[in-house]
Amino acid sequence: CKIMRSFDDERLDDRTETLNQAIKCYQKGRHDFVIKQTEDQIKLLKYQRRLEEEFNRPYMDLSLHQTIYRLTVENNYKVSEQLRKEFKVPDRRYWWIRIQGLAEAGEWVELDKF
Amino acid sequence: MASTGGSHLSSGKINLSLLRDFYRRELLEALDKCLGSKALVWDSDLTGPFGLIAEYSLLKEHEVEKMFPLQTSGLPPSNVQNIIFIARPRLKLMDLIAQNLLQEEQKGGFRKEYHIIFVPRKSLLCEKRLKDLGVYGTLTNIEEFSLSLIPFDYDLMSMEMDNSFKECYLENDFTSMHYAAQSLMTLQTLYGVIPNICGKGDCAKQVVDMMLRMRRELCGQEPNITPQIDNLLILDRNVDLLTPLLSQLTYEGLIDEIFDINNTSVKLPPEKFQSGQGEESKGVPTEPKKVILNSSDVLYADLRDKNFNAVGSIVSKKAKTITAEFDERHSAKTVSDMKQFVSKLPHLQQVRQSLSIHTSIAELVKEYTDTDEFIDCLRCQQEFINSIETDKVHTYVEDCMGKQEPINKVLRLICIQSYCNNGLKPKVLDYYKREVLQTYGFEHIITIMNLERAGLIRLSGNRTYPTIKKSLRLIMEDVNEMVPNDISYVYSGYAPLSIRLAQYYARPGWRSITEVLNLLPGPTVEEIQQIPVALRKRRSSIGSINSTAAEQKITLVFFLGGVTYAEIAALRFLAQQDDGGTDYVIATTSILSGETLLNQVSVPLEPAKLNPF
Repeated sequence: CKIMRSFDDERLDDRTETLNQAIKCYQKGRHDFVIKQTEDQIKLLKYQRRLEEEFNRPYMDLSLHQTIYRLTVENNYKVSEQLRKEFKVPDRRYWWIRIQGLAEAGEWVELDKF
Repeated sequence: MASTGGSHLSSGKINLSLLRDFYRRELLEALDKCLGSKALVWDSDLTGPFGLIAEYSLLKEHEVEKMFPLQTSGLPPSNVQNIIFIARPRLKLMDLIAQNLLQEEQKGGFRKEYHIIFVPRKSLLCEKRLKDLGVYGTLTNIEEFSLSLIPFDYDLMSMEMDNSFKECYLENDFTSMHYAAQSLMTLQTLYGVIPNICGKGDCAKQVVDMMLRMRRELCGQEPNITPQIDNLLILDRNVDLLTPLLSQLTYEGLIDEIFDINNTSVKLPPEKFQSGQGEESKGVPTEPKKVILNSSDVLYADLRDKNFNAVGSIVSKKAKTITAEFDERHSAKTVSDMKQFVSKLPHLQQVRQSLSIHTSIAELVKEYTDTDEFIDCLRCQQEFINSIETDKVHTYVEDCMGKQEPINKVLRLICIQSYCNNGLKPKVLDYYKREVLQTYGFEHIITIMNLERAGLIRLSGNRTYPTIKKSLRLIMEDVNEMVPNDISYVYSGYAPLSIRLAQYYARPGWRSITEVLNLLPGPTVEEIQQIPVALRKRRSSIGSINSTAAEQKITLVFFLGGVTYAEIAALRFLAQQDDGGTDYVIATTSILSGETLLNQVSVPLEPAKLNPF
């Protein structure tokens, strides 16, 4: 399975390449859901790489949820809002992330706004 | 290896210590084939099961001097004449053995002989691997030891093949079914041919077919024993995927869900046990406390199958009687009174000790069942099985993900919802799947695909669940948890489907529920094995008066793909019913809980550390 193999690739380019191959395989089988998710994963990996370069902190291989959570803890509301829109995170869960993230960061003022 | 006496095995209707003795003989025979002193090298999966068959002292009598685990670091130096590897036939282990052998060769020195004992069978593939690795010639002897069904208790045997569900339904590997059929043949040589066979599910059909073929191959060379077991009922886990997903509510079931019982023993956090009196308190408290759980502990035999809500009152009642019995010594007047008391003393002390252990365990379990997470989760499960709000995304499941609760808990709930809704609408299913991936990471996509392939989650299909629920009376109201009157007490209101099938099989028979059986997956099998007239059980003639007690039939229920402790409790409950007329012996490929079922299906993926350039 290509997806499994992608996790062994050490370089980002290799990994996206393997994932792209996986998408091609799934297109033959018409697994629309998996295709969409794999594309999202590639997008997420690219985002994470960019964020790492920008803020010099590790984000790679976190799930989307954890990524947004970390960003919230680190006061990066703008980026987390952007990710939320990009990946269509449902409101309910986004607020969970916000609440927990803000509590972790001790931003009681922000929390109070709810 | 913990040594356990086999006395608790023989107290049932079928004497299972016969089976244990059979295995002991075979094992010793295999060991005695190598002359001189021996060291055993164990596949770590096998030490537990073997501990239940033969204790260390017995092995010592047969010149076993040392025991090592099989690991990459090789063998510690020793001066024994024989080294015996005991392993399951898996290729990975063959590599390890070969590596160990090569290291030994390099060390040279004292000449040794090497042997392998395969459990339960040798495989051609493994032998070929050993040849390829160039160590086959070094081995003096390759034996096999057919340990498959391990007696756990007087009514329970397990093959301890933890992955058989996955192997059968995801990997199409039916080796474990072959072992199951073979172990049934072993049982038949010990306890006589089982006249009636009945089964449900694809795997059940396979096992029955294999059994019948093996019997034909024997060409009638069967031991002349009157059959002790009347019926064999083989149930496929696939027939009832709902039950193992729900939270078990019996004492033993909860211990298994929380602490994971392995080969009838459980490791518990030590904090609770420090104050225990006597020698135990001196031990290092950092090591988990190991407790062996079987019916040789009288109190535990009483507690294990009770609903957890009833455990507290029983424990306190027992505690009171024990104190009262201890107090008898004050009232003892004569010497013979004293004598009588002293003779009871060891027993009393034993009971008191097990009482203190179970008080601590029950406290640990209660801590867990009192948490909001557990209660909310249970409420959500109950809603699902009652078909409330199963057709849309459930807010509790969403919240669990929002709070990043363990992924297995979330997946279990989704699986239950899927089952109770006859599959989920495409929109709901995709939403859940996307949420899981976003929350827990993309690597879980393989696990989700596996769940779909195993049928644990699926798209909406035929509406079968309402019919099954109704005609098998799965949901019972007014459960009495203290003094149960129906098997549904084990899940506080839900009667396990698999056990309902067993119940209907005993009375009034499966013919009355043909419709439901057709809704469940897999074929229904029914076979009759002919037995010479002379060996048939003598049924008392119609006129005889004293026939009632002897008439109780014995049914062996074999679960392919695993069984939960709560289901076992339900079967034991049925066996105790007076009007049931059937006693049960249980065999299974492994003991299962929702957690271990999901662990089987899920694929852990560890992303390689990404190169930052």
